[in-house]
Amino acid sequence: MIRAQGLTKTYDGKNAVNGIDFTVEPGRVTGFLGPNGAGKSTTMRMILGLDAPTKGSVTVNDHRYVSSPAPLREVGALLEAHAVHPGRSARNHLRWLAASNGIPTTRVGEVLELVGLDSVAAQRAGRFSLGMGQRLGIAAALIGDPPVVMLDEPVNGLDPEGVRWVRSLARQLADDGKTVFVSSHLMSEMALMADHLIVIGRGTILADSPLQDFMAEHASAYVRVKAPQSTDVEALLVGRGLDVTRVDDELRVQGLDAPAIGELIGGHGLFLHELTLVRSSLEDAFMELTADSVEYHARTEVAA
Amino acid sequence: MTELMAAPTSPSLGRAVKAEWIKLASIRSTWWTTLAMIVLGAGFTTIISGVVAGDIASGKSHDSPGEYITQGLIFSQISAVVIGALVVTSEYGTGLIRATLAATPVRSRVLAAKAIVVSGFLFVVGTVTAFLGYFGGNGFFRSEGVGISLGDEHILRSMFGAGLYMAGLGLLAAAIGLLVRHTAAAISIVLALVFIIGQVVQLIPGTFGEWVMKLMPGNAGPGIVVPVPFGDHMLTPWTGFAVFVGEIALLGLAGLALFQKRDA
Repeated sequence: MIRAQGLTKTYDGKNAVNGIDFTVEPGRVTGFLGPNGAGKSTTMRMILGLDAPTKGSVTVNDHRYVSSPAPLREVGALLEAHAVHPGRSARNHLRWLAASNGIPTTRVGEVLELVGLDSVAAQRAGRFSLGMGQRLGIAAALIGDPPVVMLDEPVNGLDPEGVRWVRSLARQLADDGKTVFVSSHLMSEMALMADHLIVIGRGTILADSPLQDFMAEHASAYVRVKAPQSTDVEALLVGRGLDVTRVDDELRVQGLDAPAIGELIGGHGLFLHELTLVRSSLEDAFMELTADSVEYHARTEVAA
Repeated sequence: MTELMAAPTSPSLGRAVKAEWIKLASIRSTWWTTLAMIVLGAGFTTIISGVVAGDIASGKSHDSPGEYITQGLIFSQISAVVIGALVVTSEYGTGLIRATLAATPVRSRVLAAKAIVVSGFLFVVGTVTAFLGYFGGNGFFRSEGVGISLGDEHILRSMFGAGLYMAGLGLLAAAIGLLVRHTAAAISIVLALVFIIGQVVQLIPGTFGEWVMKLMPGNAGPGIVVPVPFGDHMLTPWTGFAVFVGEIALLGLAGLALFQKRDA
């Protein structure tokens, strides 16, 4: 379990992480979602004690990471920047990691096999592709068989097969009862991987809820109704217990499918000008949620 | 995997040392640099001894073989500086420092482990280089009838002193590396300090300049390496080495303070 309380990081007077509170629970995959520069990596570095919080605290298994006697057996982390020396072989990289935490050397072979790098274990890491580098990073994260696994942008640079592998690995770790904390800037990826979502933008938590709830709240479909006698139509639909929101001259209706709404309105002798099922994607929801928090906007006009 | 979790876990410097040793030994450049250190150091001592042995034997030169028997180690200094600097700066260049600190979050322990590994390694290599140079060079002296023996005054001290001095140079470079966190900068600074600045300060006039020169790390430290000093303008061997160690300690403490404070 990871718990942050009032966690704050200030760089040059600017808050990169702004007093955030959150808890990452075991037994599920928690997605840490936010645009680039939102504070995901900074938060993860603070969890590992690499960066010192300006204010607040963060604990892993109820104590500070720094006070762990063998931290790799408690938390395994894949960091975004490849923390590997290009001149060292994959096996030697894992060997020193194991030695540093008193982990038996036999574990090196196990994790190499687990991530599928056993055939290239003797090669220097500098020759690895981005995807192989990610696999080595994941092997390093798993070397101590830790109950908490933290992966910063794990699918970056992976081919589709690798992406699927990371997804199923995260799932399996969570099913084993581990705490799995995965960051990404891709909503679509999180929708496939996470059970729970923590959305961060400009260093502030924007949402912290189960994926299902997040989807229901932010990415629900509705039926757009346009009618000349919109007040009567609205009254009729609300009278049937449907959820109706008025946006300008359109009504957004939830709780009934489009044909049934059309029949209901027609049955009461009212005219319809438009009846459309609108599905906003999760990606849209995420964009909307984080629109104000994106650090750098591209100056491109996109039709909404 | 279950017994993995059950294993007793206590923080230990020994583990950090083992990890640092694996790191140092698993990089090819370490061994190339070490090879250069031994070959250049022992090789030049041998060559220089071969050149002067005849003159000393014939009385044309009034120098003593002891002045030359560790001369080649001047070149070994470069390798010691490179190895010492890289132990720290290569981690910053590659981002590896984050993995290191995630594995061993107590930063003073990371530094202690690095210091033990780099100084231990360079002590051994420096001493071996000195002995090889001694045997190579003394071969020429002996064939000219002016050979020396390990039992002679200061010879053994200078053999192990070479190891101590190389270890110190490595630590000096590591400390500077910690301050600047950049390989080329760290190596340039230490080499300049030892080879150039140490000579240039001689131009400062008066007693002040004399003392500045004596106290420079590259002048104070290597006194213990030479069995017979070239002149009497330097500090005595152990006094000089103590000054050298003090300078390393100061820089090391400054490095530690920054290391503790800075984000990785």
